[in-house]
Amino acid sequence: MAEKHKPAPMVDEVSDFEILEVAVRELAIEKGLFSADDHRRWTEYMNTLGPAPAAHLVAKAWLDPEFKKLAVEDGVKASLEVGIDWINSMPTNFGTPSDYCNLRVLEDTPKLKHVVVCTLCSCYPRPILGQSPEWYRTPNYRRRLVRWPRQVLAEFGLQLPADVEIRVEDSNQKSRFVVLPVRPEGTEGWSEDQLAEIATRDCLIGVALPKPGVTANAKLPVHPAVNPVDHDH
Amino acid sequence: MPSPVRQKVMQHLNIVGLLQPALHKETHAPYPDEVDNAHYRAYTRMSHDVGGEPDVPIQWEEKEEEVWEHNTFVTCEVLAWRGVWNAEERRRRQNVDVGQTQYLGLPYYGRWLLTAARILVDKQYVTISELSNKIDEVKKRYE
Repeated sequence: MAEKHKPAPMVDEVSDFEILEVAVRELAIEKGLFSADDHRRWTEYMNTLGPAPAAHLVAKAWLDPEFKKLAVEDGVKASLEVGIDWINSMPTNFGTPSDYCNLRVLEDTPKLKHVVVCTLCSCYPRPILGQSPEWYRTPNYRRRLVRWPRQVLAEFGLQLPADVEIRVEDSNQKSRFVVLPVRPEGTEGWSEDQLAEIATRDCLIGVALPKPGVTANAKLPVHPAVNPVDHDH
Repeated sequence: MPSPVRQKVMQHLNIVGLLQPALHKETHAPYPDEVDNAHYRAYTRMSHDVGGEPDVPIQWEEKEEEVWEHNTFVTCEVLAWRGVWNAEERRRRQNVDVGQTQYLGLPYYGRWLLTAARILVDKQYVTISELSNKIDEVKKRYE
């Protein structure tokens, strides 16, 4: 591949994006728009986010019909049971600054599969599911999922029988969605933790189905960062 | 090889081509009677409203996050937390006001970052000179 013969970029070369990011952040702090401490606190909060709470919400719903009812009726209230307070637990104490506190849990049935997109931007239930994957943000996914859902799901390795209806939910500014898939066979007697392990991020977006033994998202190529975030910090 | 998908994509690309200010066209800012309703609709379409547009399959990928991308996200959120902008204007600025060329041409967080810089200037928290001086100053640190 010709790509591989390109010289590696100089290590100390700084991109204009990096320069502008530092400039904007420092100016905002110098002008008192926010403090360095605000920025640090938000970064720490971000680093606590991930798909685990949503996975546990699904696992609990699989185990407890009453909780499932609550989850479908009031996703925000149900989130409290997995440690996510959409209103009070964020550094703001008034909910997310992106202004959404309406989580909807979409219940699949054997003949109905939900999948989530945001055609206008990249809306995603961050407090309970973490940051969205890059492919979810691409214009390509946003363009095609609403028109060719069956084909797009097949590209993710999810081939559904023709008699399964696919319902695409388009996220918006105020409402965010997670999918509650059908509990798979072969999980009888499993604990909440065991069940949560197979409720992967992809299952909660709706591009995969949970399966015993599968505890990771579909293996996709990873585009590496030049200067990656070290998530251990 | 001709295929219905390719034809649809070509049609789409032709329309999108009309949305760009084509340098080879004789008349820029045309007379009103030179813009028919179909073109008016094409020109006033929001660039972020992509749902249902034809496209061909791509390789789905995960992506590692750059440090500046992570910081940009946090800066935008904290600007909202502290009341500099609200969700509606963030969305309009990041997704619509940037225009089609920047919308499709810049990285996802590149749009966020440019918009964060612009809000500081537009709302007169910093002057354009302060911004460019700061950019120069930061650049010098890396020389």
